[in-house]
Amino acid sequence: MTVSLFDQFMSPTYLGIPLLALALTLPWIFFPSPTSRWLNNRLLTLQAWFINRFTQQILTPLSLGGHKWALILTSLMVFLITLNILGLLPYTFTPTTQLSLNLALAFPLWLATVLIGLRNQPTAALGHLLPEGTPTPLIPVLVIIETISLLIRPLALGVRLTANLTAGHLLMQLTSTAAFVLLSMMPAVAILTTILLFLLTLLEVAVAMIQAYVFVLLLSLYLQENV
Amino acid sequence: MGGHDAGTQYQFTGMAKYFNAYTITGRRNCVLATYASLLGIALFFKLKPKKQAAVTAK
Repeated sequence: MTVSLFDQFMSPTYLGIPLLALALTLPWIFFPSPTSRWLNNRLLTLQAWFINRFTQQILTPLSLGGHKWALILTSLMVFLITLNILGLLPYTFTPTTQLSLNLALAFPLWLATVLIGLRNQPTAALGHLLPEGTPTPLIPVLVIIETISLLIRPLALGVRLTANLTAGHLLMQLTSTAAFVLLSMMPAVAILTTILLFLLTLLEVAVAMIQAYVFVLLLSLYLQENV
Repeated sequence: MGGHDAGTQYQFTGMAKYFNAYTITGRRNCVLATYASLLGIALFFKLKPKKQAAVTAK
């Protein structure tokens, strides 16, 4: 029954109307907007703490030119972590399991870092394609290798996020199906499978947050090289 | 580590002044030379006239 295993990754539609736009924008209602109060409620304080702390973390290694990326990097982090965590709820569609979405996020942002580097400091940007101190016979080989590794970055960013989330969701579905089927036949094995499922769910919560963080961190790293 | 100031202590002469793996401009020139060579090789094979096989009348 391979068909039903991947149904969870189908883009949601209702009576023919695609709901992807809703899936991407509705999580926004979970985040209250700041008020003009001096002291806010708990949720708002927590939200502000997280945003400030994260922005400080991600911008510390960046030079001043990279600080204008603060808004996009932090909002990307909040967006990805929300989508990933909400997707762990049963029967909830996870947009970040779609390669199209992840490549659409990774490719333009990576390209922006490369173009910024070529525009503002072309010598340094091109010079970074050859590691310092390379032996002369290896120079052409290494230039080609470094160029390929540069060009493969957006693909790696997108596929990493997609693969991690898709694999996790698939594993959870497989394990839960196994536990459910085994419940009537071999209850003891079903209990063990349920324990495995529980541990897997904990792992998936961690992976959801870590993968969002890794995505944004790598982008900031690519920016550091070029800004 | 290799920041923007690395490689300033080297004083090369001749070809190595422009193409070396230590100064940032040397590295840039090596990269550009590699790209130019690859482009040259690609263009060479693309623009090479193809040998026509002789048509034998039967």
